Amino acid sequence: MSLERRMFTRELKLIAARPGDILKPIWFLMLVISMVPLALAPDSDLLSEIGSAMIWVATLLALLLNAEHLFQSDFSDGVLEQWLFLDRPLVWLVGLKLITHWLFHVLPLILITPIAGIILSVPTDVLLALLVTLVIATPALTCFSGLGAALTLGSSRSGILGVLVMMPLFVPVVILAAGVLIRAMDGSDTLPLLALLGAFSVVAATFVPIVVSAAIRLNIGGSN
Amino acid sequence: MGWRWFHQWGSPRWFYERAGRWQLVCGWLALTLLITGSFWGLALAPVDYQQGNSYRIIYLHVPVAFLAQALYTAMAVCAVVLFVWKMKLADVAMQSIAVMGFAFTALSLVSGAVWGKPTWGTYWVWDARLTSMLILAFLYLGVIGLRAAIQDPDQAGKACGILVLVGVVNLPIIKYSVEWWNTLHQPASLKLTEKPAMPASMWIPLLINILGYYIAAGYLILGSMRAIVLERERRSAWVRELVSHA
Repeated sequence: MSLERRMFTRELKLIAARPGDILKPIWFLMLVISMVPLALAPDSDLLSEIGSAMIWVATLLALLLNAEHLFQSDFSDGVLEQWLFLDRPLVWLVGLKLITHWLFHVLPLILITPIAGIILSVPTDVLLALLVTLVIATPALTCFSGLGAALTLGSSRSGILGVLVMMPLFVPVVILAAGVLIRAMDGSDTLPLLALLGAFSVVAATFVPIVVSAAIRLNIGGSN
Repeated sequence: MGWRWFHQWGSPRWFYERAGRWQLVCGWLALTLLITGSFWGLALAPVDYQQGNSYRIIYLHVPVAFLAQALYTAMAVCAVVLFVWKMKLADVAMQSIAVMGFAFTALSLVSGAVWGKPTWGTYWVWDARLTSMLILAFLYLGVIGLRAAIQDPDQAGKACGILVLVGVVNLPIIKYSVEWWNTLHQPASLKLTEKPAMPASMWIPLLINILGYYIAAGYLILGSMRAIVLERERRSAWVRELVSHA
């Protein structure tokens, strides 16, 4: 079995051993979404107007919630250290890790958003746009939160520090996604903004893993 | 001999002693410029026909906002120097600039809010430049927080360096996206390529103050760098000697 296959199955086994890691962010997302109408008003016009934005923010928070542990357990049980001795470039392994993270931890969150959209009475076409923006934007967000997680590996009680450090870098993504949603709401052309969002995501997914592996190397090698 | 000017920077002691002298020069120069510029701007410059006297906060707000942005770039330059030449002093500079940069960003946000109340009727609007300043403040905070969380100073310095470089690549993207998102702010007060819209009696003191604040920032950064050098080198003989003499 190739190394890549084994990494993939290892990831699956880890999830099977601790399904809570996947379920908790979903649980969190649904809880936050249920709090919105309670904190605001049960008025469905208002909800359908701000619903998609609320779902975006809640998804962002849920993403950050599970990104905190992206590299932490692999770091503490020594797996990351072993990565350095494999006959694969570190960037490749980091990329694989980020892809599996996206598949197993981010995709479930995206798949649950239609339900969140329905209970906030978001119109169907806006909901569709929301799903598309999430699918396009989350690779970039995953890479950046991976960077936050990798940078804070060196601190013993980092907690949500990685999140706080990376959040400002999400601004362009959030703005572009919100632009798409606003255009979807008044029925104008969303394609140009989606293209920009996609471009940002592609560039981030290309370059950020390189930076992430530099950060991991830094934290494992100490000062080397 | 040819590389001596460069290698000197690797010596904390050399830097500590030199920086003390530079600090003195910067301090007096900044004080002179700031007194001149502020007195000219606050007392002698003409009253604005539209904003009255309230525009005079420009002599604080604009220099501070300039500095807030310039210091992030300075920090990025230090990060490059740290990674390329492994110069520890660059890390010291990065540490002091992060704190100073956050302070100037906060000051520019507060002075902007104070100016916004009489001119726009509100302390805060979600305008492009205010928003990107706010994001900049969070970026500075991230650098400060990351350093505080990592115990080993070398490791902390490199982690901060990575963060700063990623931030500096993202800053223009953030700036343009925020600008596209909303624009309401008055256009930039001073542009290098155009003649300023205000009369010379208004912009000359502003220029003096900008220069003054830049040099004052240099004074403050040198001071904090010296303190950090002393702390990091506390086990070395020359620091012990210095402290025992004092």
